[in-house]
Amino acid sequence: MAHQAHSYHMVDPSPWPILGAAAALLTTSGLAVWFHHHSTQLLTLGLLSMLLIMLQWWRDIVRESTFQGHHTPTVQKGLRYGMILFITSEAFFFLGFFWAFFHSSLAPTPELGGQWPPTGVNPLNPLEVPLLNTAILLASGVTVTWAHHSITESNQKQAIHALTLTILLGLYFTALQATEYYEAPFSIADGIYGSTFFVATGFHGLHVIIGSSFLSICLLRLAKFHFTPHHHFGFEAAAWYWHFVDIIWLFLYTTIYWWGS
Amino acid sequence: LLFFSSNYTSKLFKAQLFMATGLKPIVSTESPALIFGTTTKLASDLPATDSFLGKNKVPDLQKLFQKADGLPVHLKRGVPDKLLYRTTMALTIGGTIYCLVALYMASQPRSQK
Repeated sequence: MAHQAHSYHMVDPSPWPILGAAAALLTTSGLAVWFHHHSTQLLTLGLLSMLLIMLQWWRDIVRESTFQGHHTPTVQKGLRYGMILFITSEAFFFLGFFWAFFHSSLAPTPELGGQWPPTGVNPLNPLEVPLLNTAILLASGVTVTWAHHSITESNQKQAIHALTLTILLGLYFTALQATEYYEAPFSIADGIYGSTFFVATGFHGLHVIIGSSFLSICLLRLAKFHFTPHHHFGFEAAAWYWHFVDIIWLFLYTTIYWWGS
Repeated sequence: LLFFSSNYTSKLFKAQLFMATGLKPIVSTESPALIFGTTTKLASDLPATDSFLGKNKVPDLQKLFQKADGLPVHLKRGVPDKLLYRTTMALTIGGTIYCLVALYMASQPRSQK
């Protein structure tokens, strides 16, 4: 049997990349068909196939690393670079929405009444639920760090407790934000205020859900003994992503909720 | 595969590779059970409080996924993998054909009534 003379990972042929591309086609076309022809069939198919492919692709990565040992330090370094670059790209994504917010709020037009918040808009009180949400995410940043330390100190039970607490805090944030959305006196259709508010906070909420899902998978893997004190990059990637989500919220809170009220 | 013009270049490359990577074998697994086992307890000796954790199945899974059966990683577990793969394939390829047909129909000009 041949052995490789390098420390990189030459992956087995996999169907997931091309099927993932097809799923993206179905999802985007499905969105267009939904908008113009009121049918959600294609969109549902696209989202379903995307879900199946993500599950199997990431399942295969767990198999390749934890079970087959392909993630040498060299490979791990590449994954670290990759995750950092991805999070950076997400930061730029949010930067665009912050730009849009400041573009409209720094020089409010006469149509808005020359003021921000625009005439007729009652903004949410930043010292009520939004402040609680800030405390929740900050606390979850502490608990996820506690979980990390527990992993590096081989304390399985405490790691599980801390990570579970982190996920619960994330779910609590999502639930509170959902009620805020429901109770808000303004909607996405209320001019540029509504658009900037709901698109920026909405995408943030989506990232909280994604981050909570990532952490939940890590909890499952933690309970199944996949992580070692020296090798647990999946968890670190999830923790980095979670901290990123927290920081975006801090920017959202101070600019849109607080300064913008 | 790399082709070298001379034997000297080939030897030089291999020497550099050796120094860079130490020519580690592919399968250098840190068995998680052992690390947790030495610092805490053996899986078989779990006290009642930790019984919710279950047995550490990672070593068994490592053996399973490292079997030299020539199967790619996405089909390594056999039947359940094959079923899931075929379902995903059917949904995605079928969906793509449906999508192309739908896009073709949507691009047709609507006849005036």
